[in-house]
Amino acid sequence: MVLVRNLRPPTEGVRHEEANTTAVLSGQQLGCGTLYVAETRLSWFDGSGMGFSLEYPSISLHAISRDVSAYPEEHLYVMVNGKLGGEGEAEMTEKAAEEEDDDGSDSSNGDEEEVITEIRFVPRDKASLESMFSAMCECQALHPDPDDEDSDNDFEGEEYNVEEAEYGHADVPTFYTCDEGLSSLTQEGQATLERLEGMLAQSVAQQYHMAGVRTEETKAEFEDGMEVDAAVAEAGQFEDADVEH
Amino acid sequence: MVVNSIRERTIAENSMVVLLQGLQGEVTTVDLRDESSARGLVLNVDAFMNIRLKDVLFLDRRGQTAQLQDLFITGRNVRYVHIPDHVNIMKTMESQLAKIHRVRNFAGGGRKEFGGRKK
Repeated sequence: MVLVRNLRPPTEGVRHEEANTTAVLSGQQLGCGTLYVAETRLSWFDGSGMGFSLEYPSISLHAISRDVSAYPEEHLYVMVNGKLGGEGEAEMTEKAAEEEDDDGSDSSNGDEEEVITEIRFVPRDKASLESMFSAMCECQALHPDPDDEDSDNDFEGEEYNVEEAEYGHADVPTFYTCDEGLSSLTQEGQATLERLEGMLAQSVAQQYHMAGVRTEETKAEFEDGMEVDAAVAEAGQFEDADVEH
Repeated sequence: MVVNSIRERTIAENSMVVLLQGLQGEVTTVDLRDESSARGLVLNVDAFMNIRLKDVLFLDRRGQTAQLQDLFITGRNVRYVHIPDHVNIMKTMESQLAKIHRVRNFAGGGRKEFGGRKK
């Protein structure tokens, strides 16, 4: 979490950009500027180049507030772990806050004094609040807690590679099951995969129709997967087949 | 609504977060680490325990309330999630795990996507 001058707005991975957005930091109006919801960080800059940048792991929560009795304007509320101070101060207070967090999570009476910063982003266009919120949700999900020791998340690469097991080789991939395969997908392929998995998760028994979205790389995979037939054992069997809707 | 990556499914089925994922559609209270709490409808819980709530009554640590239309709580900041009394914990977890296995077994009818643990 850094308060800086002359830092340029992010150009890559910007999920949402909202101009004419006022930032209110701990109750203090910073003026009108542009909010950038990027995959790497959340930033806001006014016209003069002054602004601030937040790292997602430091964000505790964010919300859409439409309750004008609590705050007179509809806005995006962001709660940040730690104290956002002046230049140079910010880094030091962030480290202090992190130490405080560690102490706080161990002792039962320590977290009461956890320092937080409240930021409100008030866009001129209230209709943008949903997109701003969703973009933040997506980006936040990209930054899972690295300090999480409780979860046994050590499953990288252990996914059972069917191709490897059945054909004795994994170098001619027509069917991916592990993360390596996921990274081979194009962006479109990844989006298609996610959409399909989402649909499957909803209801396997439900009838559904595929939109005609196909990519070269995933064609065989989905042709195979689309056939709800226990007899289908070979991947690529339907590579030539017409798509059935 | 829920988009699960393979990795997230694997994490979820090996942790209690599946129980929280089964609370989708329930109204409940989430207590945060900083003593504030949020009560609302659970829209989604991902494998990292990030929680999305809708139509929320937020009680901040100073005791002030605010209504929030949509709220996203970072998993790291969750202290407790209240399980509604009417929710059957075992059944919820079993049905969540069944969903995960159904999705996994859909492609190829029976071939296991995940063979075992690393350790």
